[in-house]
Amino acid sequence: MKVVFLFLLLCITTVRFAQTGNIDFNSPNNIKKFADYLYCDDDYFRAAIEYERLADINRSDTIEFKIALSYSYIKDYYSAIQKFSGIINSSVYFNEAKLEEMKVNFLINDFAGLRSYFKNSFIAVVNKYQTEGEKLFNFSYLFTDDELPSKDEFLLPFDVNEEEKISSFYDWKKEPPYKKGTLAGIMSAVIPGSGKIYAGETGDGIVSFLTTTVFAFIAYDNFKAGHTTRAWIWTSVAALFYAGNVYGSVAAAQVHNAKITFEFNDGLNVYLNKKNYYITKYEFCD
Amino acid sequence: MNFVINRKHIATTILLISSASFAQNSFDAQFNFAKKLYSNENYFDTVTELKRLLFFDEKGEFNYEANMLIGKSYKQGAKFSDAIRYLTLAEINAINIDELYNTRIEIIRINILRRTTRRAINLLDILETDERFTDRSDEIKYWRGWAYMFADDWEQAAQTFAEIDTTHVLKALAEEVDDDLYSVSFAKTISYIIPGAGQIYTGEYISGLLSLGWNVLWGYLTINAFVSERIFDGIVIANFLWLRFYRGNLQNAENFAQEKNMVISNRALNYLQFEYDGLKP
Repeated sequence: MKVVFLFLLLCITTVRFAQTGNIDFNSPNNIKKFADYLYCDDDYFRAAIEYERLADINRSDTIEFKIALSYSYIKDYYSAIQKFSGIINSSVYFNEAKLEEMKVNFLINDFAGLRSYFKNSFIAVVNKYQTEGEKLFNFSYLFTDDELPSKDEFLLPFDVNEEEKISSFYDWKKEPPYKKGTLAGIMSAVIPGSGKIYAGETGDGIVSFLTTTVFAFIAYDNFKAGHTTRAWIWTSVAALFYAGNVYGSVAAAQVHNAKITFEFNDGLNVYLNKKNYYITKYEFCD
Repeated sequence: MNFVINRKHIATTILLISSASFAQNSFDAQFNFAKKLYSNENYFDTVTELKRLLFFDEKGEFNYEANMLIGKSYKQGAKFSDAIRYLTLAEINAINIDELYNTRIEIIRINILRRTTRRAINLLDILETDERFTDRSDEIKYWRGWAYMFADDWEQAAQTFAEIDTTHVLKALAEEVDDDLYSVSFAKTISYIIPGAGQIYTGEYISGLLSLGWNVLWGYLTINAFVSERIFDGIVIANFLWLRFYRGNLQNAENFAQEKNMVISNRALNYLQFEYDGLKP
């Protein structure tokens, strides 16, 4: 009897200890717990892998959505789109997934895809976030050279407090403050350096004017003094600087245009990031 | 009666042993699994499994070893900032002087590798002034020597290795590299005196001769213009052409010396990476 009692005690204690000291690290529940921890520790790649280890039966809508989000956060946009588009209609995150899909289209600069997705799918199947989707749809026009919708139509989905900013983006896109390369070239052909000043390179313009005119004057002075050979050498130097000044002016206009386009796109991206692409923050880690 | 007591003792002993061993089993197994992944150079999975271990290890029994190994795995994947983060956690959880020292040295080695050598040298200074580590001064000097090599200060590196052993193989290497390096200031100075000389000193003979030629030409034309009392011509040639080429010659000499030095340093570091058998960062 005593032996039986001791054997039972041994088993009970072992089991009790096993519960505190022995863990099945790979049980579905523990995989989920660990994946949640990784997700909140911003280790999204590992989180996605851990979530994906769970069998379909153990995956909730939240997990499916978090897998897609994880891929999006690590910039694996191909997998992210696949996962977002795989989120089914009955999921509680269906609407969010569709909006996230639009965001991914934005991040991969697939504006044509974004617009077609919005028109053909988003409007029809999503019953929330229509305004947010429309905002992203309109924003996509600011990144491309496609014809803009009318201003009223463009501003329609935006709130009153952001109308001013969006309106300024629209105006910039409609009439960008570009400098004409041809005009810069012609200006510099007439008055050396003036094209560069027109393109915003004032210092360079003044230097161009000085160098070209000084070398031209030396050439003229040498011709006048009868030093023909020397005069032709200086004429060549002046011609070289003159040609460089014309070419440089055209290039300066192109650089100016590229710079302001870059700054404009950068401003749009900063604005959209600040607005989180019109997506509300999820509270998975609070 | 005696017989019963003996059986009780035996049973109790079995109970205690089995309980104690079960309590550690799954965590030890997980840690050993991670170590195996590490030895198989599967660093990504090593990190995952160790993070899993740490997540479930509520008692914090593996805080030092697991964080240390995560740090080392991240280091192998060249994720140096992550490596330092986990090594710092290991340092916090170190329970004896050896563990503390090892984590600090690991952090220093990573700082050397990612060329934040000033930070590495600061950490080495702290270790050197710590009385607990006075018996490890040679090892501290060794890593200081490496830090100087990665900071391109080969002369200091040679001196540091010489403090360990005057016949140290890395001392000889550092001295050799230091001898091979071009003096940037010397290259510039001789180009001030004779245009092109700095380039010739760094072995760029054609560039040096071209530089000399241009400077002689524009210098001659400038002087000629002044001698012929064409003052305006002289000023313009001197300002727009001669000075321009003269200044270019100085910059060229400096750039060549720096580029050549970089090639020499990189060749030495390459040798250390692939040929040197001793401990490396």
